[in-house]
Amino acid sequence: MEPIIKVQQLNKKYKDTHAVKNVSFDVEQGEIFGFLGPNGAGKSTTINMICTMLAPTSGTVTINGFNAAVERSKVRESIGIIFQENTLDEKLTAGENLMLHCRFYRVPKKRREERIQEVLQIVDLTQSRQKKVETFSGGMKRRLEIARGLLHYPKVLFLDEPTVGLDPQTRAHIWEYILRLKRKEGITMFLTTHYLDEAEISDRIAIMNHGKISTIDSPAQLKKQVGGDIIELSAKDNDQAAAELEQYIEDAEITRQDGTIKIKTADSDSIISGLMKELSVPITHLNIRKPTLNDVFLSFTGRDIEQSES
Amino acid sequence: MEGILAIWQRDVIKFLRDRARLFGSFSMPILFLLIFGGGLSGTMEGLISETVPEESDFQYIQFVFPGIVAMTLLMTSVFSSLSIIEDRDFGYMKEILVSPVLRVSIAVGKMLGASTVACIQGIMMFLLIPFLGISYPLASMIQVIPFMFLLACALSSVGLLIASFLKSTQGFQLIVQLLVMPMVFLSGALFPVNNMPGWMDVVVKINPVTYGVDIMKKVMIDTGSLSPVIREAMGLNLTLFGRSITVFEEVLFMLTFTIILVLLATLSFRRSNA
Repeated sequence: MEPIIKVQQLNKKYKDTHAVKNVSFDVEQGEIFGFLGPNGAGKSTTINMICTMLAPTSGTVTINGFNAAVERSKVRESIGIIFQENTLDEKLTAGENLMLHCRFYRVPKKRREERIQEVLQIVDLTQSRQKKVETFSGGMKRRLEIARGLLHYPKVLFLDEPTVGLDPQTRAHIWEYILRLKRKEGITMFLTTHYLDEAEISDRIAIMNHGKISTIDSPAQLKKQVGGDIIELSAKDNDQAAAELEQYIEDAEITRQDGTIKIKTADSDSIISGLMKELSVPITHLNIRKPTLNDVFLSFTGRDIEQSES
Repeated sequence: MEGILAIWQRDVIKFLRDRARLFGSFSMPILFLLIFGGGLSGTMEGLISETVPEESDFQYIQFVFPGIVAMTLLMTSVFSSLSIIEDRDFGYMKEILVSPVLRVSIAVGKMLGASTVACIQGIMMFLLIPFLGISYPLASMIQVIPFMFLLACALSSVGLLIASFLKSTQGFQLIVQLLVMPMVFLSGALFPVNNMPGWMDVVVKINPVTYGVDIMKKVMIDTGSLSPVIREAMGLNLTLFGRSITVFEEVLFMLTFTIILVLLATLSFRRSNA
């Protein structure tokens, strides 16, 4: 099957910065494609170019067979975008917001009513159709935006931080809706998020750093690349402990991060037993775990996603 | 087309729901009615009856009222275009901009929305007529509405163009203040602009309000039966390049003016978001 999105040699240059450098990747039909990267990595610039909101300096984007620079309207009809910030008209009712969207996207008149009911049902907002959006909670607004993004049968749904600013329970709900969509409508999703645990639902993840794609793979493969286990420990005297660890551990990578020492290793058992014997300073905290996406992120960008926030 | 209609309807619906806006924008025109209608009419009527004693039933307010309606159109049109900046601030503009709606349709839809809102306000001003002790033939009041709409279109496109390249509401208000008052005063809406100095006359002649007000007076007041003295005194002999201008030419001017400004606003939209 042809990839639904093809990005080839994409570049964006501003006066003094080269924001996006020769980026190329494909997104397959029906997959959830996670697009991660620290702030300032060129993520938004890339997405804006894919969504026809920004003209690239060079390179091409093809969505659903249409060239994003030439057949803008066709591309816009093929995609649905759920922005990070609220883009609903709060003075209008949910139903009115949806109807306007149908008209902007030329959904055939006969199909509008039926489609509006359909999408409202998907996000459980049928009861709130006549209510003004300003009376909605944050989660309801988000769901309405997702519903609206679906109205015109897009081939690709762009979700920019779909759960930002929501409480954990609502976040979980939003993901349920998103997964339900994937199952029911087979829509391709292009997802950005700062919550790495949420990025786990992606079929593939691309990590962008300094304007380039650092890696693209499935979450499982990415974690495998980081490899082995991660030992986190803190001691009474971290400097002393780190110095001693450097001396006797050979096959591991040792990093320090706010009061904890991180050891990345393929053989955690022997290190732990050695550590107990060799270390002269008392250990106050010890933890062994499998790598998470956060470790993947860290190893590809050199930054923690939380740190990259600030 | 559907896009234009949707954008237009949205602005009109929102206006009709907003009661505060509906009544708030009347304060200024009513103030002007009081000052020019009440305050100035004694002097004007006195002057006229001294020079032409046979015109003793001359009512100044009859001539000023169309001008005040035009002023209402001007203020509402320009300020309604502010909704573009609001849409940008509240994020809704993004929803419109990523949709397949053509940029020119966005500009036209917004322009028509503001014009309709202004026209509704202008027509509501008619409700004041009985209280002013004047009257106009009903037929001419209906006839004047399309011309009012055309004037509103020309004025909304001014607001649209300004809003399309300004980022903030404050900046918009400043520019509008600098623009709206001169456009009112240099249009013949409130007093005749027959004998202006050269440069001011140029401003009068490129000001769409001038032609809008002139048509409105021609339609609402039976100008044919007026004595030449009053026609001259009330500035009803508008000339362009030394000859009287026709209604057709005035319509053509406002149409061209609107089209040019809407196209410029479209270009400005394109530039700002690709």
